[in-house]
Amino acid sequence: MWLDQDLANFMSSPVMIILGTSNDALQPEIGRAVGALVRLDGEIELVLSAWQWPGTLSNVRANGRLSATFARPSDYVSYQVKGHAVVVPPTEEHRAGAAAYIESISAVLAELGLEREVSAPWLVNRDLAALSLSVDSVFVQTPGAKAGQMLQGGQ
Amino acid sequence: MTIRLRDLAPCFEGVIPSIIATAASDGTPNISYLSHVQLVDDEHVAVSNQFFSKTAANMRANPTAALLVVDARNGEQYSLDVRFQRSVESGELFQEMAVQLRAASAQIGMADVMRLRGIDIYRVEAIRHVPSPIGKAVFLPAASPQLSAAAEIVRRLSEETEIGAIIDAMLDGLRDRLGLANSMALLMDPTGERLFTIGSRGYEHTGIGSEIAVGIGVIGTAAAERRPIRVSDMSRVRRFGSAIRTSATEEHRTRTIQLPGMPDAMSQIALPMVAHGVLRGVLFAESAKRLAFSREDQAVLAIMAAQAAGAIALSESEAVESVAAPASPPDSSPAGRPFRVVHHAYDDSVFIENEYLIKGVAGRLLIHLLRRYLQEGRTEFTNREIRLADELRLPDYKDNLETRLLLLRRRLEDKGAPVQLVRVGRGRIRLALAGSPLLNDEHR
Repeated sequence: MWLDQDLANFMSSPVMIILGTSNDALQPEIGRAVGALVRLDGEIELVLSAWQWPGTLSNVRANGRLSATFARPSDYVSYQVKGHAVVVPPTEEHRAGAAAYIESISAVLAELGLEREVSAPWLVNRDLAALSLSVDSVFVQTPGAKAGQMLQGGQ
Repeated sequence: MTIRLRDLAPCFEGVIPSIIATAASDGTPNISYLSHVQLVDDEHVAVSNQFFSKTAANMRANPTAALLVVDARNGEQYSLDVRFQRSVESGELFQEMAVQLRAASAQIGMADVMRLRGIDIYRVEAIRHVPSPIGKAVFLPAASPQLSAAAEIVRRLSEETEIGAIIDAMLDGLRDRLGLANSMALLMDPTGERLFTIGSRGYEHTGIGSEIAVGIGVIGTAAAERRPIRVSDMSRVRRFGSAIRTSATEEHRTRTIQLPGMPDAMSQIALPMVAHGVLRGVLFAESAKRLAFSREDQAVLAIMAAQAAGAIALSESEAVESVAAPASPPDSSPAGRPFRVVHHAYDDSVFIENEYLIKGVAGRLLIHLLRRYLQEGRTEFTNREIRLADELRLPDYKDNLETRLLLLRRRLEDKGAPVQLVRVGRGRIRLALAGSPLLNDEHR
């Protein structure tokens, strides 16, 4: 599925990235990503700490189901993408992207009054892993009347 | 170490947004920020539900969810496995969250967007600390949910003006907000020698009017010492009060109402109710569990007992100041069957239709009111005129009239007697008669 350029730009900007997976018993699990490489053909590579979020990784390995919400801290503009993912080996690009993301999002949060010591536990790059997500659908998640509305994709 | 929900209180301040993940019946996850998660008690959280419709749909199909909450002080993250219990669209918790949400939303200019539709209550089944590069989680002293419960109970009882309603608000609060199913409140007798039960919860019979001597048992000792008494293992402690369980027929013979109590109580706690430096009564709770009451419980109950004592003292003094009511016209004769009332002057015990009702001051009061009714045909009386009545002859009476009338009213209710005492406004009462009383005053 092709992604809109504006949406791709948004997802690549310093926004919070949260990940939802579920295991085979349908117990959901939450994780955080530290960076996204967004390709317009609908592939998003999400980088996360395997040390911090082992459950997210094992769920993706088990069934591939992955949803990710991108939320801009300054105005709560949010989009959720859903699709199927595989675990891929992290590359230098992923590592560099994670370092740049952590630096830029920390700065954004600090500007909003959140000290770096407080955001540090969410922005961890220890033992990096990467998930390659093929997006099937995109939803508006910004609080308001349009929340939950499908933007792209779907059956 | 096991993390308790109450240890995570700083995560529920609404400072750092929480996250919720759900899964549809086909397993498709949904992940979303949440504006507000609130701590309900040690097992439950409440989640505001304004707009995440997909989350709500998933919850109906698959009630398991995950929450991620963040300690606003240090950013530490906690992952909660939760299970949907129910949605709530009104009530105290809903109102509290709605107000908080309105305030928070107004701050970020989204007051119209974030209208609270309902709150969802989840049971928390597991809590895990998310690995953190900073090190181990440090729990700073967290606020206790009991303290919030105490604040709510105190708020409710401070809305009440009448002693009976104050007592009820306290005992209902203990049961509904602190989970203390078995409790009672006793007030001091004007003689200062005994306490009498004015309200109870969780017992087979209410025991309204039952008495315990100051200095006897857990309750009497708390009164005598004016200190909280806490017993965490009753198995080797002799039961206070009467060891013999008196039956209803015993009640008539002994002219004593049985004190309510759990036969298998293992833990008991009694708190003195003091206001203006005067002991007003005792608040008591018990449980079949060992070590049921912690020091924290004791502190919370002590606050409640003191608040109730203050409210009761105020209610008493306001009743003293209340103005006389206009004289009511004589009532027509009640339609029902006449009933026999026997009064024994030596202890002022009163029997109605051969059933023991009450003795002492409360008994004398009832007889006084019935006599006035028979002489004047009046059913409505002011506290002031009762207080001034010569035949009631009590020097230290004035500060306790309200509680005496309350005791009499509740005992009459409890017995389903053909005469009832109705409060018709501050400082005024009315006799509600099912039939004409046949007063036998000769048993002296």
